[in-house]
Order: sequence, then structure tokens, then C-alpha cells
Amino acid sequence: MQPIVSMINVTKAFGPNIAVNAVSLEILPGTVRALMGENGAGKSTLMKVLAGVHQPDTGTIAIKGIDQSFANPKQALAAGVSTVFQELSLLPNLTIAENMFLGREIIGRFGVPNNPSMEDATRAALAELGLTIDPGTLVSELSIAERQFVEIAHGIKADADVFVLDEPTAALNAADVEVLNAQIRRLKAAGKAVIYISHRMDEIFNICDDVTVMKDGQHVATTTLDTLTPDGLIALMVGRELRDLFPDRSPSSGVVRLKCQDLLISATATPVSFDLHAGEILGLAGLEGQGQQDIARSMIGQHTAISGTLTIGVHCISMPVSSSSGVRDMQELKLGFVPEDRKEEGLLIGASISENIGISLQAARFAYQTVTQFKDLVAQTMRDMNVKAESPAANVGSLSGGNQQKVLLGRYLASDMDILIIEEPTRGVDIGAKAEIYKLLRALADDGKAIIVLSRETVELIGLCDRLLVVHDQAVVREIEGDVATEHAILDAALNP
Amino acid sequence: MIQLRRLFGKNSRQGNWWAPLVLIIGTTAVLIATTVDFATPQNASNLLAQAMPLIIVAIGQMIVIVLAGMDLSVGSVMSMTTAILALDGSPFVLIPLVFLAAIAVGLTNGIAIVKLNVHPIIATLSMQFIVIGIAQLLRPVAGGSVPEIVVTMVTGRIFGMPTTILWGIAVIAIAWKVLHGSRFGLHLFAIGGGVASGQTDAAHNYGLPDQRIVIKAYVLSALFAALAGVFIAGRIASGDPSVGSQFALDSITAVAIGGTQLSGGVGGLHGTILGAILMALLANGMNLANLSAFLQGAIKGGILLLVIALQSRKRMGL
Repeated sequence: MQPIVSMINVTKAFGPNIAVNAVSLEILPGTVRALMGENGAGKSTLMKVLAGVHQPDTGTIAIKGIDQSFANPKQALAAGVSTVFQELSLLPNLTIAENMFLGREIIGRFGVPNNPSMEDATRAALAELGLTIDPGTLVSELSIAERQFVEIAHGIKADADVFVLDEPTAALNAADVEVLNAQIRRLKAAGKAVIYISHRMDEIFNICDDVTVMKDGQHVATTTLDTLTPDGLIALMVGRELRDLFPDRSPSSGVVRLKCQDLLISATATPVSFDLHAGEILGLAGLEGQGQQDIARSMIGQHTAISGTLTIGVHCISMPVSSSSGVRDMQELKLGFVPEDRKEEGLLIGASISENIGISLQAARFAYQTVTQFKDLVAQTMRDMNVKAESPAANVGSLSGGNQQKVLLGRYLASDMDILIIEEPTRGVDIGAKAEIYKLLRALADDGKAIIVLSRETVELIGLCDRLLVVHDQAVVREIEGDVATEHAILDAALNP
Repeated sequence: MIQLRRLFGKNSRQGNWWAPLVLIIGTTAVLIATTVDFATPQNASNLLAQAMPLIIVAIGQMIVIVLAGMDLSVGSVMSMTTAILALDGSPFVLIPLVFLAAIAVGLTNGIAIVKLNVHPIIATLSMQFIVIGIAQLLRPVAGGSVPEIVVTMVTGRIFGMPTTILWGIAVIAIAWKVLHGSRFGLHLFAIGGGVASGQTDAAHNYGLPDQRIVIKAYVLSALFAALAGVFIAGRIASGDPSVGSQFALDSITAVAIGGTQLSGGVGGLHGTILGAILMALLANGMNLANLSAFLQGAIKGGILLLVIALQSRKRMGL
């Protein structure tokens, strides 16, 4: 049987980052393929290439045996590829029918769009999914679940051959999931191909026939699911060796620096509670986007939590923390937050190293005081962090990624924070600088500071942290001691709560 | 063709247009009661003629505001139009010239915004200076005379009615077709909705020729401004380089009062027309009542603030 979708040797790079590296994917009609992989594996990028959002650097795509190339998603749809992404692309100020027909409107007399015909056709397509929503409703009035179904109906109406569903059940309840599964089975029976990206093991084993696993942009394995167990699947997804670049762990002093009680990051989340001790490095692990960042950012008000209490020393702070003054308020309590995007959120790119290191100290002073250079402190910090630069006056934008990260961390060192929450401590940093940063963080912990680390690199969290809280679906599902943690154990905890 | 539910329903993308309607009814009632000269046929005719240029130019402004853009050059296009019409020459040369000049202005605006990525405010502001310079070059001081045919078209009577009424019908019909009765209009709202909800590529991903649509919108804005300029030229029967100066900001005000969101994607033609009528009504009434310039300005500003505050700026789609 000829494959209905055939992607051969597709490569897509963004600058130096090769997101998809010579990946081939072939899917037979009437099958449902799961596409799995850790964070950064390249699954979304590969599907975006198929969907026409990105154009591949090399490689070919064939639908039903005919080679295709798509300049935009509309062309992909015309060729038979329908995609429902997590970031929905419906226009909120247009009705369902208008969205469905955008670009190929049915025109009536005098060139006026024939709304009744478009709405009738839309009503029929929605009815196939068991939906009775009025097609004249503005999309802005629909719930997220309804919008996802509309996008799927769009693909069905366009008579697509391939349906790509990216985390389709993320916003659906159990009943909706059943509706979706029934639809997928219908598509399968009609000889279509469905590509299903999800981290939910039970769904994958329930509805999918085969699975393709990707890692670091490359194809790892494609196999049928009936002979595989969840453990076997996890083993395929994981597989990097723990590199020997982490300093030894040391015990914490036991003093509780920060107590988080019943933090609720959203209405559908589970309350999160944990203690953070002096001398400890605590990691928030698990798959990407499960709530780790929301938990961390709730502490400084960059995410509006619903409820919860933070206790730092004698201060009791109730959530939500103010988004406009949260960072400053927390700095006064000696809690520093290091954001993941150092270029956009962390450093002042046009400024010098000394300005960047000293900025927190400057900000803490009265606004009209004369500026002090903090020369000695900056020099000391640069030495401690081993920042390699010509002088403190050098522009931070000219430094390497590793040095930039050290300058950013140096700012918090200089302002003598007791508690640090760090997102992605070694993002975009080479191996040598990584090792230095890990040593520095351990030294800070040994000095009595308490550190929370978020990272998409599970290997990093395992090597660096004393304790790991595995976060999945906005809840802490397990606590694992750093010295016994493995990637397998973390993924297992995440996927089998 | 267009369901009533869409025009008047809750949450339709027509925007909040009942505020100007209520204010028009209220203001008219107050004026009839308090100002003697208001409720006369002569004043009604005056009022319509005073409102017409603003209605026309506001329609053009609305077209670009729906795209989340803005056109600050409309006033100067109106002035330039009267200056061109006051030149020596046959109306069969001057009138097409007016519209060709408007197309040139619109194309320049559109291309600067779409291809050179200049912010709409800066692009159209720059055009405003250039075009007013052209107007002043052609007609340094108010004067000259506009062809007879233009004056007759604007101030004459046909079938016993002032031609203004025909102007109104024609303009509203064309505007409705462009905004609410064509694929182009739907695409305008689609692009604007994408910008307003933060999905700037959405319309493009649907395969819409978004760059061409934006350029066409700015050309239309300039054309409507030129049409308004023709109307004014017919009324004052001369060229005047300063006649359009208030219209850029006034047209934006009328559009905003009518419920069209400046963030794009939301708005309705009837709202814009009501907004323009309200402003003309206020100006007419306040003049008759002999209110001081300060009071007139304060009332105008206060009404704008009131109407905008009453509109709920819902974040679309979120």
C-alpha cells in the first residue's frame, strides 16, 4: 500500500540550531501515528514543516505519492494536510462560517458573500462532529474546546487526507475526548492518516496504531504500539548519558528559607506545596509546559496565581503577588528571579557589564541619589563568576552566551540574594561555561543560599539538584532525591502519575 | 443578505454604536427645546451639508482603522483636492486629476506601511506634510474658482431635493458594499482581527493577499478623502489650502465614537455614520447656541471620552 504521507530526509534549521535533522516519516492510509519525544526533540517543527508553516531546508514531502511544497498553511490544506495546532489560528472577530471559508468564500449576487450557504455548509461539517454550535457565532464566544473542534471540522470539510493533531486533548474534558476519539476512528475507517502528538500515555495506547519517537531533532525509532509497553516507550524517548560535569552535591542546612503552601496556579491545577532549605538546590522537573514556569513566576507576580501562601522568614505573602511590584518586593525580601530569556528579559543588552551587574543595587536606592559605580563590587563579582571580558565597561551584547549568563547571575550575587529562582541556567551556553555555572551554583548553595532551578534539560536537573519535584499537568506528582534520580524515573513519574 | 442579528446582536463585530445614537437623539431633543433656530428646514439642510464631508472622510478612515491602521493624511488630501479644482482648466481634466492624485497618495502610504514597514502614523503623517505642501503650492491663499459643474453637483437640487441627499445615498451604498458586502471587506476585518488578537500572521496563513489588501485600503481612504474634498470645494466654490486641517483628527474621532476599535477588527458602517452625524450635530447646535470656543472644545472632548469609556474594550478572542 502506498503511504498517504511521505516525508523524506527533511531538515530544518533555525540559524545554528538544527531543529529537525534528516527525518523521514511515512504513514499508511487508515492509520493513527503517535509522534513522541522529549522537549526540543523536533516534533512540532517537523509538523510545522508538513503544515506549511515552515519550509524545509532539504528533503521532500509527498502526499498520496505526489511531491508537494507548501508556501503557507492554506496551500498545505489545499493539498490535503489539515493541522490543528496548540496555538489556535481562528480569527476571533469572524464567525465560524467566515473562518471556515476564509479565502474561498462563496460569492452570491452582486459580489456579496453568500452567508446563508456558507453557514449551511458549516453547520453540516460541525454536525459530522456531533456539534450543534450555530455557525454564525463569533469565534471569540467559543470555549477552547469548541474552537479545537471547529478547527478539526475545518480539516474534515476541506476533505483532507492527513490530519495532524498537536496535543488535541490539552483543553478537553473526558467527554470531549471521547467525541474526539470517535472522530479519529471515523477518519481511520475512511482511509485517512492521523498524526497525534501527545504526552498522555493512556491516550496514545488507546487510539494510536504506531509511534515515531524523535530525540534531539533526529528520528529514533518507529514501531507499532501493540508490542510496546509504556516503559519500553519511555526508554526509547530517553537515552543520553549523564555527563560528568556536575560538582558533588552537599547536604542542606535544614533551615527553611521559603515555604510554599497550597499554591494554585490556575483553576484546573492542583495545589502545590513545598519547602526550600538553605544550602539546597531544588529542581522543578518534568515535561515542558506542565506548569513549572507558572509556579516559579507566581512567586514574583509575573504569573497571576489564584491562591496560596509564601513564607519567607517572618514574612507571609499571600497570592497573587502583584505583577507590577512583585519583583521589587521580592528583592527586598532577598528573593531574586533569573528569567530564562536573558536577552529579552534579563540583561540590558545595550549596556555595559558593570551597569548590568550593578542594576539591582541601583534600583534599590532612592531614585535621585547620585549614581555610584560600585566599581569594587563589580570587579569582585566578575572575578567570582569568572567573566571573561576586556573590562567592566564592555558592552554585554558582545559577550558569548556563557559569559552573558554569568553576568546575569552575577547581578544577583552582587545584590546578595538569599533565595534564587533560576530559569534555564545554562540555556545557549557551551559545555565549558556550563560546568563553571554549575560549580558557581553549588558554591552559592554551600554559602547558605537556597536555589530553585527550572530547566528543560532533565540531565542538567539531575546532575545539579539535591531534590527534584516532578511537575505534570500543573501538579507536583512526585519528589525524587537528586542522587537517585534518572531521566527514566522522571518521565515515568510524569507520564504515570 | 445581512442578517439583522449580525447588525444588532450582542457581541457582533459591529462595535458599540448605540452610544452615538442615544447621544444624537438626546442632543437633538435638547437643541429643539432650547435653540430657536435649530428646528428649521434651512438648518436641517445646512446640517446635512455640514455633516457630509465628515461622513465621507470618516468612512475612508474607518477602512484603515479596521485594519488597525490610521490615516493622518486625509485632511491634507481634502485641501489639495480643493486646490486642484480651483486651478484653471476644464473640469474633465481637473476632476480625474483629483482622483489620480488621491490614488498616488494612497499608494505611497500603503507601500510605505507594507513594504518599508513604516508605522502607519509616521507614514501618513509624513504624507500629510508633503500633500499640504502641494496644496499650498497650487493655492497659497484661499481663492480661485471651482468649475460650475462641481458647484451644481453639490449645492443644486434634483427632483426637488438637495443633491446632498443623493450624495449621502450613493456614499453609503458604496461604503456598505466595500465594508460589509464584499470579500474585500471581510478580509479587512480578518486582517484587523488578526492584529488585534496578537496573531499577526493569521490572515496571511489563510492565504489572504494581506499586503495588497492593506495597500488598497489606504488608496480607498485617500479616494474617500478626495471625494469629501470635492464636496467641500462645491460648497465654498473656491480652493482653500487650510480647509481640511481639522478633518484628520475629526474623522478618527467620528470613527472611534461610532464603536470601531482602534486596535482593529471591530466596527460597523452605521456606527461611523452616526459618529460623524453626532459630531456635526454638536458643532451645528453649539454654533447656533453661540457657545464659546472653549466650551465647544470641552464638550467635544468630553463626549469622546464618555463614549469611549462606555465601550467595553474586550480583548478579542482571549
